Amino acid sequence: MVFLGIDVGSLSCDAVLIDKEKNILSYSVIPTGVKNIESIAQVKKNVMDSAGIMEKDIQYIISTGYGRNRVQERDRAVTEITCHAKGIKHMIPETRILIDIGGQDSKALRLDTDGNVVDFAMNDKCAAGTGRFLEAMARALEVDINQLGDLDKGATSDLVLSSMCTVFAESEVVSLIASGTEQKEIAKGLNRAIAARTNSLVKRVAKNIDGLAVSMSGGVARNKGVVKAIAESMNLEKINTPENPDIVGALGAAIIAFEKWKTK
Amino acid sequence: MMYEHFDNAVKGIKEKLNNDPEGINARKKYVLELSRLGRKLYSKDETIAWCGVTAPFDLLSAMGVTSCFVEFVGAMLASTQTAGYFFEEAEDSGFATDSCAYHRAVMGAVLKNAMPKPDFIIGTSSPCTAGLAIVENFAHQYKKDFFVLNVPQNYTKDAIKFLAAQVEEMTLFVSDHTQRPLSMEKLGMALENFNRSSQLLKDIYDLAKTKPSPVDNRLLRDFGVVMPLLMGTKAGVDICQAFKDELNHRIATGWHHVSKEKTRLMWIQNRIQHPFPMDEMLDDLGAKIVVDELNNVTWEPMDPDNPFESIAKRMISIPFSMDTSERIRLMQNLAQDYQIDGAINPCHWGCRQGTGARGLISKGMQDINVPVLNLEIDCVDSRNLSKGQIETRVEAFMEMLS
Repeated sequence: MVFLGIDVGSLSCDAVLIDKEKNILSYSVIPTGVKNIESIAQVKKNVMDSAGIMEKDIQYIISTGYGRNRVQERDRAVTEITCHAKGIKHMIPETRILIDIGGQDSKALRLDTDGNVVDFAMNDKCAAGTGRFLEAMARALEVDINQLGDLDKGATSDLVLSSMCTVFAESEVVSLIASGTEQKEIAKGLNRAIAARTNSLVKRVAKNIDGLAVSMSGGVARNKGVVKAIAESMNLEKINTPENPDIVGALGAAIIAFEKWKTK
Repeated sequence: MMYEHFDNAVKGIKEKLNNDPEGINARKKYVLELSRLGRKLYSKDETIAWCGVTAPFDLLSAMGVTSCFVEFVGAMLASTQTAGYFFEEAEDSGFATDSCAYHRAVMGAVLKNAMPKPDFIIGTSSPCTAGLAIVENFAHQYKKDFFVLNVPQNYTKDAIKFLAAQVEEMTLFVSDHTQRPLSMEKLGMALENFNRSSQLLKDIYDLAKTKPSPVDNRLLRDFGVVMPLLMGTKAGVDICQAFKDELNHRIATGWHHVSKEKTRLMWIQNRIQHPFPMDEMLDDLGAKIVVDELNNVTWEPMDPDNPFESIAKRMISIPFSMDTSERIRLMQNLAQDYQIDGAINPCHWGCRQGTGARGLISKGMQDINVPVLNLEIDCVDSRNLSKGQIETRVEAFMEMLS
């Protein structure tokens, strides 16, 4: 008896299978690509194969993410806001503020002690500071996206990128490279710019974060440089990040699937 | 072209109403009257005044002037999906794409000669100075005289006196242009119609407060902001009566018990004017907008013996005109009267009303434990809209409230 959560994001498609004790049996993270129906089928197959279970063993499916309504076999679709809150509550129970930066949006959530969302704020109008933004910046810096996290090591200047529009920021990065600014300084400047924007999102849901545990989910949470810059901008010693920040939404969806099945 | 559009609308709605003589059809009767107004504006036989939102339309009607606020045309162009053509014209002439799209659409229509030529223009400093600048721009384009009503933000004796004097002066300005003096008898009739409509509005809003509410997500949309165009007329009274009858009928037949009402919502400011499926989205989520911020009678009955002061008091009392603290106090009262679970603020792009007061409104509602969803949506220009983004925010808000 297992429960499946599928998070169809703009960049990655994630799935988590859990049992009724909420133990993770398997998970998979693959690129969403241009054909999300195929990615959904693939990610589902991955978790079933890995856990060695059959379709009939899945009791309930919750889909989430921007492509949540594309999951045809879902029992229900739930937004990523609710799913991330549920997932982080399971992984880092003390979380009261959750920052989720995904492929095309970033959000700040304020949670109560039971992990319920009491307020949320999302980026509007543009993808500044999101995974897509970082992809564009990695391209401009001519590094792999996975190298970005450590790229700011040893940076000493207080450079902050002034543009947050992805297009203008990319051109600013190119100008900085042309003027001879070191890669690490530019990377630090980028991280600071993302941190300032994230900090502003957090302030929209909690004016004062004293004593509130802050965690981060979504693919960008794997970027140590960004996480560190956000912590610095919020005067925090640390921001909690789960071992697999990409699967927080899918895990939350799987837990909600279990809870829905229980009350069915 | 526009005259034909409104003429066809009038004929089509009349036919539908004739085919259903027993039906109440409040919304159809309302749209019929607005289409008649549109037809009059484009008929070329009328004395036309383009105005600001808070102009005294009952007084202008008593003086034989067909008047309308320009944002109404912006909304109409958006709802008929013809605004895009006019946005481009306005933008080509230098209007910024992030300026208020209500105004950008009508400015484009003026530049394309698609607006009826006014005989004069009455601007109002409330609700926004952008609107005032736009009508001043019209005055220059059409080479017509321009009169400004400076509406104070505070409801004080001095402020009322200050505005009442301007309203009286406006009647002289209008008479100069129409060659018709103000008839106190006609004004008395207009104010009587206004008072009857106001009382019916109060009744309508009281019925809407019922739990579950007999309204749906469409019935009273933008009612409070548009009705003042008709309230000084007999037709305005009849429309208000039809809405009251419709709600009473729904309650009598138990309609409100079968309608979905998992969540009771307040909509702040104006609704989305282009065909974005917000109503359907809320229907699917079992959420019902039971009150719009501007569906509120905030004025005392008009005193025919003291008409200019009465009109001035009414103009200042409209939430649009008030300072933000007073506006929030009115919203808090509505939230409590209608027992709402949450509020949605569309924060219309480039709008002082929508975005300027956003943080204060959220805080004011939080003080009475009402969560607010702040969207960032252009209510008139649909070109930058991402349906999925809005859907996620609205769905997440409903999940949070449930």
